[in-house]
Amino acid sequence: MKIFNLIWQIGLLYVIYVIGTFLQKLFHLMIPGSIIGMLILFALLHYEPFQNLVKDGCSFLVKHLALLFIPATVGVMEYFSLFQSKGILTVFIVIISTVLVMSISSFVSQMTAAKKKAGCWAEWE
Amino acid sequence: MKIIVSILMILATVLIYWLMVKLYNKIHIPLLVPIATSTFVIISLLITFHISYHTYMYGGKWIDELLGPAVVALAFPLYKHRSTLKKYAVSIVLSVVVGTIIGLCSGIMMAVLFGIDKELILSLAPKSVTSPVAMDITDIIGGNPTLAAVYVMIAGIFGAMFGPYLLKLLRIHHPIAIGIGYGTASHGIGTARAAEYGSLEGAIGSISMTLSAIFASIICPYVVQLFL
Repeated sequence: MKIFNLIWQIGLLYVIYVIGTFLQKLFHLMIPGSIIGMLILFALLHYEPFQNLVKDGCSFLVKHLALLFIPATVGVMEYFSLFQSKGILTVFIVIISTVLVMSISSFVSQMTAAKKKAGCWAEWE
Repeated sequence: MKIIVSILMILATVLIYWLMVKLYNKIHIPLLVPIATSTFVIISLLITFHISYHTYMYGGKWIDELLGPAVVALAFPLYKHRSTLKKYAVSIVLSVVVGTIIGLCSGIMMAVLFGIDKELILSLAPKSVTSPVAMDITDIIGGNPTLAAVYVMIAGIFGAMFGPYLLKLLRIHHPIAIGIGYGTASHGIGTARAAEYGSLEGAIGSISMTLSAIFASIICPYVVQLFL
């Protein structure tokens, strides 16, 4: 019975996703439907009985999130030519830029989050 | 026939991923993160057996379709950690804004410096942003959306593979900082990786991914104008 519960819950999350996509198209928003759906669910979760309706489905999908990206990552095979001649330069650029973003954003947040612990950001609370 | 191929591709993907997770749990080398090894194995198999990506996607699209509800599901850890998010709101917003600006500027500047074609520059600019948004942004600024998705995947896989080494090197240990690093640089794939550290890291990853997507979509057209 657990599997039916899971399917029904994922179905419900899918409906929220479809609503998000619908709203995005309706108002020509720059935010994708999935993220609008996330905001909708976030709002719905404030109503406690609703939490049990999606709890198992949510933890299942979040747990296997990496698997769900595989069809998209396999798509890189269509662009192998990118790794030849001058295209390889763009791959290096993307990699260096990714290193910069990860280093600097996590560094800035560690500095500011750690400061918070020491009470320096108390005025923001 | 098509339905048999679809089911076969889905089963193969899940089986390979499951095996790669087993392997990863056994030897635990960050470089062998399941998303990277599974991608590598599947591409190798498809090439060996002369199966096109188009055929693979008969089944692959059903797994891909679950990404939408999975992103919706990220609201759950977000809700669970809402008080922490509030507490660190300033730190989170500041770091993500700084990271997003660095990501857009460094990518475009290096590409201009190396004399890359304009279409490629416009396609790689939003690489740190989650793929549906990156494709929309690229479309608006005049690049190639499909190519943009490829650069997004490169940024995602690279972050998931090398992030643990990089963060260790920089002595990043605060859960907020870990989530922000992965979410801002490597979007959803990074968020999945951050969730491996813990539920809080995953929640911060998803909020960083969301914020950077919103912020990048607002400023990207202006940054492009500035450099091109």
